[in-house]
Amino acid sequence: MLKIEDLHAEVDGKPILKGINLEIEAGQVHAVMGPNGSGKSTLAYVLAGRDGYEVTKGRVFYKGKDLLEMPPEVRAAEGVFLGFQYPVAIPGVSNIYFLKAALNAIRKHRGEEPLDAIDFMKLSKEKAALVQLSDELTKRSVNDGFSGGEKKRNEIFQMAVLEPSLAVLDETDSGLDIDALRVVAEGVNSLRGPERAMLVITHYQRLLDYIVPDVVHVLIDGQIVRTGGKDLAKQLEQEGYTEVQDALQP
Amino acid sequence: MTDATPQTLLGSLPTSFDAGPEWLRALRGRAAEALREQGLPTKKTEAWRFTPVRSVVDAEFSQEDGGVPSLVSLVPDGVTARSLRQVLKAQPELLEGRLDLGGAPTHFAALNTALFTDGLWIDVPAGVAIQEPIELVHAISTSPEPGVVYPRVLVTLGDHAELTLVETYASGDARQLTNSVVEVALDRNAKMSHVRVHENAGLQVGRVDVRQDTDSGYRSTVVTLGGALLRFDVRCLLQGKGAECQLDGAYLVEGEDHVDHHTRVEHQASHCRSEQTYRGIAAGKATAVFDGIVVVHRDAQKTEAHQENRNLLLSEMATVHTKPHLEIDADDVICSHGATVGSLDEDQLFYLRARGIPKDLAHSILTYAFLESVVDRVDHEPTRQRMREALLARIPHGDDIRGIT
Repeated sequence: MLKIEDLHAEVDGKPILKGINLEIEAGQVHAVMGPNGSGKSTLAYVLAGRDGYEVTKGRVFYKGKDLLEMPPEVRAAEGVFLGFQYPVAIPGVSNIYFLKAALNAIRKHRGEEPLDAIDFMKLSKEKAALVQLSDELTKRSVNDGFSGGEKKRNEIFQMAVLEPSLAVLDETDSGLDIDALRVVAEGVNSLRGPERAMLVITHYQRLLDYIVPDVVHVLIDGQIVRTGGKDLAKQLEQEGYTEVQDALQP
Repeated sequence: MTDATPQTLLGSLPTSFDAGPEWLRALRGRAAEALREQGLPTKKTEAWRFTPVRSVVDAEFSQEDGGVPSLVSLVPDGVTARSLRQVLKAQPELLEGRLDLGGAPTHFAALNTALFTDGLWIDVPAGVAIQEPIELVHAISTSPEPGVVYPRVLVTLGDHAELTLVETYASGDARQLTNSVVEVALDRNAKMSHVRVHENAGLQVGRVDVRQDTDSGYRSTVVTLGGALLRFDVRCLLQGKGAECQLDGAYLVEGEDHVDHHTRVEHQASHCRSEQTYRGIAAGKATAVFDGIVVVHRDAQKTEAHQENRNLLLSEMATVHTKPHLEIDADDVICSHGATVGSLDEDQLFYLRARGIPKDLAHSILTYAFLESVVDRVDHEPTRQRMREALLARIPHGDDIRGIT
């Protein structure tokens, strides 16, 4: 599904990613854990194609295609989804209109007919229920006046409607209390499937109690320093990133 | 009827005024005298610094007769809408002191005062609250010869009266000058919502002057879509305790348009509140100007005044001048003001694109949403809908983003 080879990237001329190698198969959930400033969000933005995140070396293949060649909207249309750490508010643009426009842009890219208003409403009602997003919130302006938890639930709601093949979830747990975390995690889990891969980026192990990964990577200073099973997350929680880092020093 | 010989605006001023009641002749005489002394504004006139009026001041126009806007809605029961010319002939005393713009008119307002031949007086008596809006259309001459009209409207609301007025300055070409004056007088507790639309309005110099008594409320929503040269001034005098005004505006200019919006709110009494939100988009080689001032007089304690102007620049050749300012002589007040000029928000753009929306469509969505928030305040559903459509027609991919809000 996703193959990252020796990926280097910089922001404002400052190297952030320093040679990432990562391969995710369809059906797998990988977690990337790391301390602040390790390059977690940069990795997410590079995969989604944000301007200003310059890839200086390496390649990324998504379903065998060169992902880095594609503008962000083509990546989305090809099935890549980024769940934002800080979803931006867009006053004046209704959440539901925006999502319908996004879904139909993606369908158009795939050569499918646009979904009409009635079918879309049906779909969106069903998916909103998944993350307990109220009707009122779906109709408001995008993320405008949403609480932290509502924003994150809105991200997962969008993911549920857009049904991506690869979901990159950037610190979906940040700013959530335990109840909201559970709701969001359940939403994510319900979207797990043999055709879908997920890259869950997080600082804390807590999220991984709810979204249990197949593989855990530890990202420190722009490099993946360890890779293991789900127990690696627990070990990190107990030992802390510093120990892991120190253990790696020659 | 058209005055046969084209003249410059100042050249068309008569040396004496012989018609109408004595107070009107005196008023017109003072206006003409002020004009002869001060002339029309130039680039050196501070309040006209960014308005390229020279082409208008130097040009010759024939004065078109009339200036009476067309009433395109029924006049509801209890309201009167009369020709100024007829009232000035039959009962001039009713208008004495009502047409002087609160003092000595200057510049283009003085020109209108000296030269208007007719107009409309809408009066809503005390206690009459009108739900259905009154709609006026100021049609512009289609004559190929340069012409000028001086529309004049007077709106008076008695105690507790309520009115929604919708004015449209319709399409016209850049040879036709409309120099309009609308005066509004709101008695105690009167409430007025004033929607004003300028659509490709040729040469426009417009002035709205509002005098507000105790606890009255005035809401102005101005939508300007294009304009060869448009200068719009709205002034609210908050003269009675507890009066409130809300001045909102949206403008979109492209090509070589120049539109210029000026607001002036004078807090003359205590406990008054004013709020202003103007938003504009400049594309192509167009220029947009916003100049807003809030003056808080010494006795106007407990004033609350807010003013905001935000602009989007969509091209490197477009220009925006913005100058919100405050003059405060009272000490117990809450005031704020701010202005921004920028391009589309990168975070918002990326968010839309990351969900699959193509870049150019994302641009259009954000451009539309930026102005829609003001258009949404238009207090008249058919006009609001018409403005949304007009906005969509001017934005690339407008058809694809219908229903966005």
